[in-house]
Amino acid sequence: MKPLGCGVLAAMICHAQIDPGSWMSYGKNSLGWRYSELDQINAKNVSRLASQWMYQTGVPGKNETTPLVFDRMMFVTGPSNFAWALDALTGRPIWSYKSAPPTGVDLCCGAVNRGFAAKGNKLFKVNLEGTLLAMDATSGAVLWKATLEDYKKGYSATAAPLIVKNLVVTGMAGAEFGTRGFIDAYDAETGRRVWRFYTVAAEGEPGGETWKSDSWKRGGGSTWITGTYDPDLNLVYWGTGNPGPDLNGDVRPGDNLYTCSVVALDADTGKLKWHYQFTPHDIHDWDSTSDPVAANLDLNGRSTKALIFANRNGFFYAFDRATGKLLHAKAYTRVTWADGIAPNGRPVVVSGQEPTDEGNRTCPGMGGGHNWQATAYSPQTGLYYFTSSERCMLYYKTTQEFVEGQWYQASTAGRSEPGGGRIVALDPKTGNIAWHFDTVSTPTGGVLATAGGLVFAGDAEGYLIAFDAQSGKVLWRFQAGGTIIAPPISYALDGRQYVAVAAGQTMITFALPK
Amino acid sequence: MRPALKLTGILIFASSCHGQTNNPLAGDAKAAETGRWTFRILCAPCHGIHADGGRGPDLTLGTYSVGDRDSDLYGAIARGVPGSEMPGYADRMDADAIWRIVSYIRSVAQHETSTVQGDPSSGEKIFWGKGSCGKCHRVGSNGSGIGPDLSQVGRRRSLAYLRASVVKPDADVTPGYGTLRVVLRDGKSIAGVERSLDNFSAQLVDLTGKYYSFLREDVTSITRENRSLMPSYEKALAQNELNDLLAYLVSLRGAR
Repeated sequence: MKPLGCGVLAAMICHAQIDPGSWMSYGKNSLGWRYSELDQINAKNVSRLASQWMYQTGVPGKNETTPLVFDRMMFVTGPSNFAWALDALTGRPIWSYKSAPPTGVDLCCGAVNRGFAAKGNKLFKVNLEGTLLAMDATSGAVLWKATLEDYKKGYSATAAPLIVKNLVVTGMAGAEFGTRGFIDAYDAETGRRVWRFYTVAAEGEPGGETWKSDSWKRGGGSTWITGTYDPDLNLVYWGTGNPGPDLNGDVRPGDNLYTCSVVALDADTGKLKWHYQFTPHDIHDWDSTSDPVAANLDLNGRSTKALIFANRNGFFYAFDRATGKLLHAKAYTRVTWADGIAPNGRPVVVSGQEPTDEGNRTCPGMGGGHNWQATAYSPQTGLYYFTSSERCMLYYKTTQEFVEGQWYQASTAGRSEPGGGRIVALDPKTGNIAWHFDTVSTPTGGVLATAGGLVFAGDAEGYLIAFDAQSGKVLWRFQAGGTIIAPPISYALDGRQYVAVAAGQTMITFALPK
Repeated sequence: MRPALKLTGILIFASSCHGQTNNPLAGDAKAAETGRWTFRILCAPCHGIHADGGRGPDLTLGTYSVGDRDSDLYGAIARGVPGSEMPGYADRMDADAIWRIVSYIRSVAQHETSTVQGDPSSGEKIFWGKGSCGKCHRVGSNGSGIGPDLSQVGRRRSLAYLRASVVKPDADVTPGYGTLRVVLRDGKSIAGVERSLDNFSAQLVDLTGKYYSFLREDVTSITRENRSLMPSYEKALAQNELNDLLAYLVSLRGAR
């Protein structure tokens, strides 16, 4: 077996990610690459990959967690406010945490949680009822708890927090229930809130003119996927969700800033440095919550600090992440709502694509394009990997009054034709697709890239698949017995590289035979 | 977003339902309209945007396989329907929200007014004889499971839908009963009803009831065909025979 190493990019990447054998945050590094520099498992030997242990949580519901691994333990969050610490070598449970959510928590999309953040020996997670917890990694004891907002008003929380220096930065959920979105930062030691950025501009604030009357008060823009952080620029990047109500924009004429956007915030103050709105006045529920990936791209002969983003509206975007200037944008899937992105950055909107009472067909469907599932960037191949749904939908519109705490979506979307999806490898320098793997169903899982020249992704039918990162050739697969919604990770222990993923209600790890 | 979930105590919910036979919001037009909003989000993906059926049964017929009382509908929404794909929503919404959906369903119930001039007993003979319907469909304990179970089809589908299904089977293929075609390496082609399909394999049953399982790497192609394997009976049966068959299908109400 090949000894563990950091590959040819060792110096740069190992510096950026500190310990290649651990997995300390949602996107592995703060830039959101979801790239493991471990290369013991590679394209030549991955066909021999075998399961090592499984841990069955016994908790029903969807597992969307990114497990963290450090100090020989794996830290896993589960549905319905459950969490576990497992021995990373054997899968044996060390401690568990559970806290029944209070009655009356409104959730659009399941009692899910997407993982811990870690700083030192502290873990941080959100609970469904919109709280943020600090926990002792050794024992699971709760050290402090902060309330983001009142769950009785429709607020909830599902995303993995992000550590930024001494701060725990977290998003919220609830855009389908008339909430006003925000991004919060809390002192990691005390749980005191240090700053908040509202993703919906209030009347009188810059951007407030993009909402009519008091519609901003229930304007949505939730922040339910973890953002990223560039320490050199000291900027936090975070995607924002759809405006509310989702499918009827009549009550909120205007662009509805800063929904369906990416915002760049000063990490110390939460002040807006720049923003870009992907879908002004969204009426198709195209949240822009996917993880923004900070990657340096060689453009026109020079290295450019870029931010790359596969958006749910069907377009891929690359920005100068220092200024927010749009570098280029290109459709990666079928798009009927816009003819492209104009030089001024605004979409060239096609008329007649609005939802109607009887349904109107538009591409992409409500889930995208690329939805929320974790993406990956490999500095080895220079490619950006993500999943995409490849179908259109009928979008329906309803007139609906707002009732606090009640669903506020103003109708729905339905399937207009059969369709599956893709796992896509895209060249972020051009927006061109390098390869894609067609899937029979809409992709459900996230993606992992490794220095072994591999890309791992799970699918809706329970397969964990290993691809050649350069060519897209399928090199290995394993039927895990349950839908894979979570992204895989990789870690190392005692000289062995592991790949781990949650499938169904089971955490599974893989390694090469000894 | 995806389908909704509201965490609500099941016990609280259940206690509010016990003993409640009639909808406390009955006759409240506002409740029905509010119920429509929720129906469109949660229920329409299976029951259709107008509640007239899809993957799930037509709810505009005014008669339901779970029972026709308000509390029967409430119970089906709250606890789901065992043996079907219908999940329970007791942990996702409070009692009032469920009653509002019941109100909406009641508001769109048309009750079947069209009738077919046919003889159900003659239709039954055609079903099991000339039509050979039982070679693919089950009624009660008789017939085959290749196609959808028709034991309650008269309660779940309108006459118009049944007529269209018999005359133009491709018009609306029941989810889960689509057609898969597998072309083997030797050029042989096998078509069957899809039992399962994933990125690496396919499982299907042909019209003789034979079960097949293939890995994609072992065959030339596996293709989903957007059609039904059921033949059209438009020309195979005389008009009176078609009416008799439809009368039989309408009579299939099943046991509750």
